[in-house]
Amino acid sequence: MNIRLPYAGIVLLVGPSNSGKTTLLKQLVNNGQILPSEIVSSDECRVLVSDVEFIDWTQRPNDEAEGLFDAYQKISAEAFKLMDTMIETRCRLNKLTFVDATHLYSDDRKKYISIANKHHVPIVSIVLDVDQTVLLERDRNRENPRGSRRIKQQYQVFKREKRFMKKEGYDKTYFLSDTDQVEIFRENTNPVHLDVGNGIDIIGDIHGCYNELIQVLQKLGYMKNDEDYYVHPEGRKFLSLGDIMSRGPKSLQTMEFFLRHVEKGLAYMIDSNHGWKIARWLDGRKVTLNYGDELVEEEFIQFEEAYGIEKAEQLKHKLKQFLLAAPSHYVLTKNGVPTLVCAHAGIKDEFIGKQSAHISDFCRYGDNEGLDETGKPIRKDWTIHHKTKTLIVWGHDPKPKPLIMNNTVNIDQGVVFGGALTAYRYPEREFVSVQAEKDYSEGKSNPLMELKKKRLNPPNIAKFLNGYSVLTETFGEIKIPKEYAIPSIDLVSHFTVPIEEMIYIPPTMSPTPKPSALDDYLEHPKEAIDYYRSMGIERMVAEKKHMGSRGILFLFKDKDAGFKYVGRETLGVIYTRTGRKFFDEETEAKILSKINKALTSKDYFHQYGTEFVLLDAEIMPWNLKAKELISSLYAHVSENAILDRRLLKSKIERAVGQNEELVKWLEEYKDKLANAHVFKEVFQKYCWEINEIDEIQIAPFHLLAHSNETFFHKPHTWHMEKNKEFASMDNLFIETEYMVIEDEASEKEVVNWWNTITKDGHEGIVIKPEPFIVKSKGKLVQPAIKVRGRKYLHIIYGMDYLEQENLNRLKKRNVGKKQKLALREFALGIEGIQRFVNGESIERVHECVLGTLSMESDPVDPRL
Amino acid sequence: MQLTIRATGQDAKVISYLLAKNPNNLYERSVNGHFIRMFYSQFAEEEVEVTFFVTPDPIGLSSNQSEIYDITSYINDREFVVSSIFCTFLRTALGTALNGKPKEDYVSWVNHSFPLEFSFGPLASSLSNQEIEELFQPLGYEVAITYGEVDYRVNIKKKSTARYITLKGLTTLQKGLRQLFILIPVLDNYKHYYIDEKEIEKIERYGEGWLDTHPQRQFILKHALRFKEVYSLVERESEEKQSTAVEQKVRLNDLRYEKIIQKVNEFKNRETIIDFGSGEGKLSVKLGFVDGVKEILAVEPSESESIKALKRFEKVQEKENFVMPKQIIGSLFYYDERLKNKDIIILCEVIEHIDAYRLPKIMRTILHDYRPKVLLITTPNKEYNEVYQLEDESYRHSDHRFEWTREEFSDWCETQSEASEYNVTFDGIGEEHELYGYPTQMCIFTRKEL
Repeated sequence: MNIRLPYAGIVLLVGPSNSGKTTLLKQLVNNGQILPSEIVSSDECRVLVSDVEFIDWTQRPNDEAEGLFDAYQKISAEAFKLMDTMIETRCRLNKLTFVDATHLYSDDRKKYISIANKHHVPIVSIVLDVDQTVLLERDRNRENPRGSRRIKQQYQVFKREKRFMKKEGYDKTYFLSDTDQVEIFRENTNPVHLDVGNGIDIIGDIHGCYNELIQVLQKLGYMKNDEDYYVHPEGRKFLSLGDIMSRGPKSLQTMEFFLRHVEKGLAYMIDSNHGWKIARWLDGRKVTLNYGDELVEEEFIQFEEAYGIEKAEQLKHKLKQFLLAAPSHYVLTKNGVPTLVCAHAGIKDEFIGKQSAHISDFCRYGDNEGLDETGKPIRKDWTIHHKTKTLIVWGHDPKPKPLIMNNTVNIDQGVVFGGALTAYRYPEREFVSVQAEKDYSEGKSNPLMELKKKRLNPPNIAKFLNGYSVLTETFGEIKIPKEYAIPSIDLVSHFTVPIEEMIYIPPTMSPTPKPSALDDYLEHPKEAIDYYRSMGIERMVAEKKHMGSRGILFLFKDKDAGFKYVGRETLGVIYTRTGRKFFDEETEAKILSKINKALTSKDYFHQYGTEFVLLDAEIMPWNLKAKELISSLYAHVSENAILDRRLLKSKIERAVGQNEELVKWLEEYKDKLANAHVFKEVFQKYCWEINEIDEIQIAPFHLLAHSNETFFHKPHTWHMEKNKEFASMDNLFIETEYMVIEDEASEKEVVNWWNTITKDGHEGIVIKPEPFIVKSKGKLVQPAIKVRGRKYLHIIYGMDYLEQENLNRLKKRNVGKKQKLALREFALGIEGIQRFVNGESIERVHECVLGTLSMESDPVDPRL
Repeated sequence: MQLTIRATGQDAKVISYLLAKNPNNLYERSVNGHFIRMFYSQFAEEEVEVTFFVTPDPIGLSSNQSEIYDITSYINDREFVVSSIFCTFLRTALGTALNGKPKEDYVSWVNHSFPLEFSFGPLASSLSNQEIEELFQPLGYEVAITYGEVDYRVNIKKKSTARYITLKGLTTLQKGLRQLFILIPVLDNYKHYYIDEKEIEKIERYGEGWLDTHPQRQFILKHALRFKEVYSLVERESEEKQSTAVEQKVRLNDLRYEKIIQKVNEFKNRETIIDFGSGEGKLSVKLGFVDGVKEILAVEPSESESIKALKRFEKVQEKENFVMPKQIIGSLFYYDERLKNKDIIILCEVIEHIDAYRLPKIMRTILHDYRPKVLLITTPNKEYNEVYQLEDESYRHSDHRFEWTREEFSDWCETQSEASEYNVTFDGIGEEHELYGYPTQMCIFTRKEL
């Protein structure tokens, strides 16, 4: 007899003592077909918990027998508990387990059926049906005979139970009378595992858009061979996430295409909601064909009309088999290690690599929570429960752009709704897509349109009120505590530009992690460079740090573009790092129009195919925004300091002749007066009169995004080149000096440059690793470190900060918290922009923006 | 921070005994890293000049500052200007003189009046020169005031906010110093330590013989004690007359609430009411007493306003028939499903605080998503500003983004209701002017199906 064992699950052996269960398993171990560790036996568990395998209480006086019987019952109970734990654990880990016990009573067996169901693994039973005479004979010859009375009793139970076993719910039941005649076949690899091989191209929901399918395959490099198969010269294969049919124009053609390619081993396809429905319809089940499934029926009718009923039935049969055989999901492996999961609508971590009706259902429909008012399922976000490092690629729920969320990627871009067909190249992790030729849905509940319509809806406040967390691609989960979220909601409700226009808040930046090793400096470029080198970064960019106010410029190609992206006919918005409008309405309008004219005349928007530009910049002079602070704080302090010190100096000077000891105080006050003058000189350095907008300077240092892409993959040298390009287009933009650090010589040059400009009173420089986002040992590295000049720091740390005793104390500063915030805000900034560019809802963008604003309410030393 | 005392006349040298400071020595004491110092710059038969000053430890000083994390905690005038901190530093150095306890031989000089000159500064004060003079002239001083430099490259300010004061007069050293110890903190208008009843005792002691008769007594006490609670221990604040403009404003506020309450009472459906932008809860608390009201949602984003509102609610919580408003953190820029399908939404003086271009979205959320049975909006009537004689184009409140004429408001309301299922009616609040209408205008949106 041939026995087929599943890859994982439970193999339940059933039979009275001496029926040969253990012998059969020993034989399989000896053949090398199974591992000893795959067997869980009740006898062995008894030994494990109590050191004895069997207790014989027969032939004993009554009282002793009863005592022994009790002991045996107790041991058995514990042994079975252990056994069940082992079995359950192995099921959870998707292992195959042979359960060696008599399993004579249906309750014992059902327990394992429910364990198997609970953990979504198959269960098969092997029933050893051996004559009573043989059983009794074997018992007499064994080391610890169970005794004929017990054997007979067991046999009676077995005979009674045998007939029920088939219907108990095993995936398969085998009856054996002779263990020698058995041949075991075992599935050694997980059937849902696929080796990545030369690469796999995962394709999102096609919905009968056959033309677009062919286009995307061609774009991916597949070529049609003589036999009409699309093959890749490098041996790559393609894998469909399901829903290849329904809603669209050419379902039949698409299904046939996949049928042929899957049969030939060139492609794969997984199960899906539409696929399952069509399969059951083809199987003759009673199903209502709707949501575009009715179009498939129409195509079959046409096919039948064209080719006759026989051909049609033949095709129907083949397609039915094909669709029913599609697995719930595939796990792609590299060198045997699972690295990526493909599932149609979603999957739970504990389902990965397993198969069951329940899993298939989940993978087809995702996590649904009832129906909404219009009868559509309310989809729950299953991705938040994904905790492992395996990437999950899914479709089913159309999104305007590939949606990367918590280590999952949605690649259904709604081609049938006029969107795009996306392919995900693995292991390259690249997206390739083609636009739909048209909207085939003809406007009938088009989810892409729905999303677009709802995109700018006000964010649901319930998401934020109790604190929340944001899943970022760059940093993972970032928690926003309630106590900081609420003041930020107030800020947004009173002072900031509209939520839909505030798509990015720049991150804070840390100064050098360590204070300067030099005696008379608090900060020095060396510590920043050393920090990056210690992270394994050799190439850095040093940019001049302008002293003005941070400004975000969100500039639209025209007012229509403004309306399209933020719901307002506007040329853009310029706002501060706390989200407030940077300029008064009139000035803003002038600046926006001037820049727009310049960019338009240089053909910028057209040349780069973009409808907006998002810039992170410093806007000068400082007094533009900080006029009040300069007057009431810096000027006020400098006037008082100079008045105080000047008067004291002259009073001491007048008296110094009379008392030698006063010389010391005089020297002290001469120095202090000089410090006060430095202070006064420094803060004026960043101020100038503004009469015309031309006197305003804008220094963009990051080109964050265009309407179709973000630029976080570009190095800072590229961003600096963009800075130059902007400076060449309009005189409001100014160029920023920068240098690359790559060796000792260039390091020295940067230090010299820093010394020169800071002596002149410039704020300092910012040192960044050359790439925008850098990780070291899996951890995000500070995206930028500021190194401020000796002179500038007078207005931060006080005019006397360089006095040795003050400096020594100030050097004990701790930048830990600042760095922590800098990383989180950096990740939130990137995340928000990416979401915006991907056309996600403003609520998802605001989550990031509100997050950064909240981080900024977390108090940190303002001098850092 | 410095104080120079100059005495002239034949007995000038006595001053050194009253101060108990040897003219041949420098004085220097360190208190927590701050240096309190003194030196004589003149010690002649007919002229003595002595300067007390403090060289503070700036880092030590800033670490004692409040917990507000702001650059002003670190960069500020405290280490330079004369203030209560200065007085505290000098108390020990000037102890003998302040207490009038010199060596026995000189006790008789304590009450001797010398021609004295006190000069001190820098002073950072919100008081005008005239106000400063009014503090010192009644005490018999000639007052001279000089300013710091404002020679900036850019036009930052016209006049310096650093001043140096010189007082000249015939007085006893003790009295002069005691006057300064009370008046310097008054001028500076900032106290670095906690003020409680002990302060009263100090003022009574130092103010003996001059403060009670000072024409600015009330002003001095108020500024010296800073807090109403402490000040009221000294005397009841006399009712200050409010200006008519303020009076009008207060009255209009009350009228507005009155009118809204009256309207709410007229609505058939008034079980559930939302007060948007409820602020300090003035309207919500009144709604709590309206008959038939079962739930009030007071929506407000500001935590500090919400705390004030809560106090207001708690005061009347125990009263009969009061429905405690439920406070909700939120604003018109977010969507909150708790606000759906209520009877009445009130926007009392709210819309004019929102940029006009943002209003359509807000109205959509209210009329299409929240769908109240009634929406009540009040906003200023710009035409009426004429009655207030406001300058052209200036708004009643600095945060107003717009103020509308009656026509602008009604046009706007009509457009909102056009596309929706609401009827609109208009009304006014306050005293009607025959030309300009009511000071506050009101619009009521009522759902048509009702």
